[in-house]
Amino acid sequence: MITVSGLTKDYGGRRVVDDVSFELEPGTVTGFLGPNGAGKSTTMRMVTGLVPASSGTALVAGRPYAELPNPGAVMGTLLDAAAVHPGRTGRTHLRLLASTIGVPASRVDEVLETVDLTAAGGRRIGGYSLGMRQRLGIAAALLADPPVLMFDEPANGLDPEGIRWMRDLLRGHAARGGTVLLSSHLLGEVEHTVDRLLVIGGGRIVADGPIHELLAGDGTAVRAADPASLATALSSAGLEVQHRDGGVLVVPGATPQRIGALAAAGGHALIDLRPSEQGLEELFFQLTDAA
Amino acid sequence: MSTTLTATPAVVPAARPTARSTGPSFAGLTALEVRKSLSTRSGRSVAALAVLVGPLGVLLATLTSGGGVAAAMALGIMGMLIALVLLALGVLSTAGEWTHRSVQTTYLLVPRRGRVLAAKAAAMALLGLVLASLGVAGAVGTLALFTTGVSWFAAGQAVVTVIASGAAFAVIGAGIGAAVGNSAAAMTGTYLTVLGILPVLNSVKPEIASKLDPAGAIVTLAQHGAATTPIAVIAGWVVVSTVAGVLITRRRSVA
Repeated sequence: MITVSGLTKDYGGRRVVDDVSFELEPGTVTGFLGPNGAGKSTTMRMVTGLVPASSGTALVAGRPYAELPNPGAVMGTLLDAAAVHPGRTGRTHLRLLASTIGVPASRVDEVLETVDLTAAGGRRIGGYSLGMRQRLGIAAALLADPPVLMFDEPANGLDPEGIRWMRDLLRGHAARGGTVLLSSHLLGEVEHTVDRLLVIGGGRIVADGPIHELLAGDGTAVRAADPASLATALSSAGLEVQHRDGGVLVVPGATPQRIGALAAAGGHALIDLRPSEQGLEELFFQLTDAA
Repeated sequence: MSTTLTATPAVVPAARPTARSTGPSFAGLTALEVRKSLSTRSGRSVAALAVLVGPLGVLLATLTSGGGVAAAMALGIMGMLIALVLLALGVLSTAGEWTHRSVQTTYLLVPRRGRVLAAKAAAMALLGLVLASLGVAGAVGTLALFTTGVSWFAAGQAVVTVIASGAAFAVIGAGIGAAVGNSAAAMTGTYLTVLGILPVLNSVKPEIASKLDPAGAIVTLAQHGAATTPIAVIAGWVVVSTVAGVLITRRRSVA
């Protein structure tokens, strides 16, 4: 549904997005991660044509965004929750958007209900909290129930309940065959929400793949009743042993079967034995520091 | 790292049942821009001021002068005030969106910026016509009811001038606002030029000022003066500001 090919942006001789390519398929939630200034927001803006690309193409549903007959009906976009006129009420803002997209005015009340802003719909947006503005932005994106959603930092300002609600919303959208691109700094939230990760660093894509593959480590994590004794046994077997918090031993390059066999042979009681995984935070810094 | 892409069929999925399959018509977009302009307190205030400034100005002039007024001159001056207020309405319709960044939503839903600006210009022309008509009607009514010794010579041309210049100035404001992209800067710069620089120029080089001053052009035209130059001056401002607004807006990134 979104196909980005060689997208590049130069600002005054400085390359901020460099040959970014990816393709997003229906039925998936893709996390778009990167440190501040890595090029996430610029990439998203180029996808929608808000920022002209220096080179490369971005297609939404097979067409450049600007050539979609009614873009709001194809892709719901939230790039900046503060980008609204503070003097309008939430309901008026949504009614104007509904008229532009061509959905009935009754849909406004439905999406206000969805984002739990019914009571605040008659108040001026200038009096909204950041979380309420995020909810309003999400409501606007959902007006036409579009097949594609693209959200830039939608969890900013949301409370834990709101974040959980948003996760369910995005997962539900993907489960109905929708396509979601989600940028967020909340790595824990991303880890629990997305199927796939795109990591951008220094303007370039540095990782792109299913999240379980990217987080999978090459080794085994094991916990024993007597960690020191097991560590000695594993070292004696010529294995490298790394000590982690909670008495966890990580053995790079070894399979769980081999570690289990060594533990059984030495009479070590095991509490936990599984393939090692790295946390998203660890992966994030590993990838983006290198970029 | 970049990923090798596979071709995606150029098929736009049908919009969900509740949404229109095409974008808004030009008339619909124009109506939306009218609604936008009147959906904020600032927009409604400026619109109300445009309607009230004419009759209030006439009333004030009557109270201070005591009567014996040429309607064409009074309406010309009131028309200039109405036009300057409508200029602000035009600026708010375009620059206001950049200032509040709501322009992002506007161009996400209707990416063809030239079309949006054309609709804004049409909306401002329409609002300018309606509000200037109401304002000049109020001014004429006030003159008729409260002012003694009014000379109505050429008042008809003055009325037409006020209405047309109201529409033109609203469009000029929209063009300048689109070009500058900041409400405060656009209004300050324009008013400084029209109310400060051009009057000074008029005092030293009146032959040049008469070819540049759009506010002076309204007064001249309303008083049954030579029509060609004032019309050309106002038309020039409309064309230059609109073209500048379109060209700059089409190239500007929406951050």
